Amino acid sequence: MRRLLLLALLVSPAALAQKTDAKLDCKFTGTDFVYDCTIRLNRGGEPLAGAQVTVGADMPSMPMAHNIKPVRARPTKTPGEYRATLDLEMTGEWAVKLRIAGPVRDQLILHYDFTESGTVPRK
Amino acid sequence: MDEYAIGVLTSIGLLSFVAASAYLLLTAGELSFGQQGFFGVGAYSGGIATAMLGLPLPVGILMAMLFGAAAAALVGLSTLRLRGLHFAMATLAAAEMLRILFELFHWQMEVGGETVGPDGTQGFRGIRWVFERGVEPLGFLFIVYGMLAFMVLCFVFLERSKLGATLRALGEDPQLAGMLGIDVLRLKLAVVAAAGALAALGGALFAHHNTYIEPRNFDIMLGVHSLAYALIGGLGTVFGPLLGVALDLGVLEGTRFFQGYRMIVFGGLVALLLVWRPRGLLDERFVHWLRTRR
Repeated sequence: MRRLLLLALLVSPAALAQKTDAKLDCKFTGTDFVYDCTIRLNRGGEPLAGAQVTVGADMPSMPMAHNIKPVRARPTKTPGEYRATLDLEMTGEWAVKLRIAGPVRDQLILHYDFTESGTVPRK
Repeated sequence: MDEYAIGVLTSIGLLSFVAASAYLLLTAGELSFGQQGFFGVGAYSGGIATAMLGLPLPVGILMAMLFGAAAAALVGLSTLRLRGLHFAMATLAAAEMLRILFELFHWQMEVGGETVGPDGTQGFRGIRWVFERGVEPLGFLFIVYGMLAFMVLCFVFLERSKLGATLRALGEDPQLAGMLGIDVLRLKLAVVAAAGALAALGGALFAHHNTYIEPRNFDIMLGVHSLAYALIGGLGTVFGPLLGVALDLGVLEGTRFFQGYRMIVFGGLVALLLVWRPRGLLDERFVHWLRTRR
């Protein structure tokens, strides 16, 4: 445990500074509040392939009360692209939480409006 | 344990702090719709401490509790002379003022090549102390429940002490308590500050769990729910609000098969429960019966 903590403290700031970028594009499936989502991950300008991506979502106006069961995203043939089906409780704004493991470990929060056709990023 | 179960249990733990803060005020006879404001103060100050000032989490939590207590004491100083619903409305107004202040709060700096800090309505990203130190969700769950256990222990000691009895007396009849020589205003102010610190502790942990916070996280819904947790669980013991949170999230999660009607079913169940037991499941009478049975 101590070693792990020491290792975590010694990770170089440069490695930490490299940011993972994520884009989400969801389509309404026709079933109430179920969306097929495509996630594109980039790190340092390159697609982030081979990652294990878990997708969760929470409503910002009532944190922790309206959330969904996290789902594992499946990688597609395109490097850095992953697919997941989100079964939300309602339309409206959701904070989508991506937990990334594998080649990099990261956690990203993306804000999107889920409408009756798909997603619109929050301005 | 799977990630979903860990997530639900962590949420129950985090919400328990704000529920316990509403419960503490209820035992002193005050109804607050504003504990979410101090939860927010804790989230922002704890986040600033670790993400911007580079302080360790324990220091961040202490700072959050101090700021939460100070903010609650300030609100208490100006509102404690109000009674009943007037006090409740004043706390709601104060929490909304705090939320609007978070929306106007911009303070960012470069940390490790990234801009972090509160950015008004865009929220506060990068509260990654816990995440960057490799604490996994299960580890964080233990941290939350460790602190919760400590809080419950403090409550158990308080409820068995003379101070606990004084608090109950104050809650039952402040005028009579005053006639018995209790400094009503000073004691209530101390309770308000302690409740603020408790809510802030939950807020600081929430910010580090989520890595991101925004003003809308601290709106009236959280305040109403935290009060409801105490009322559903019962006012007889600190285990009441914790049971309230567990029931609330348990019912919410357990009624997922109702899909779009879930919130209606949940609301109906809560209404039925409060008709059946107006002072909650673990009310004073039930707790007294449990204690005298031994």
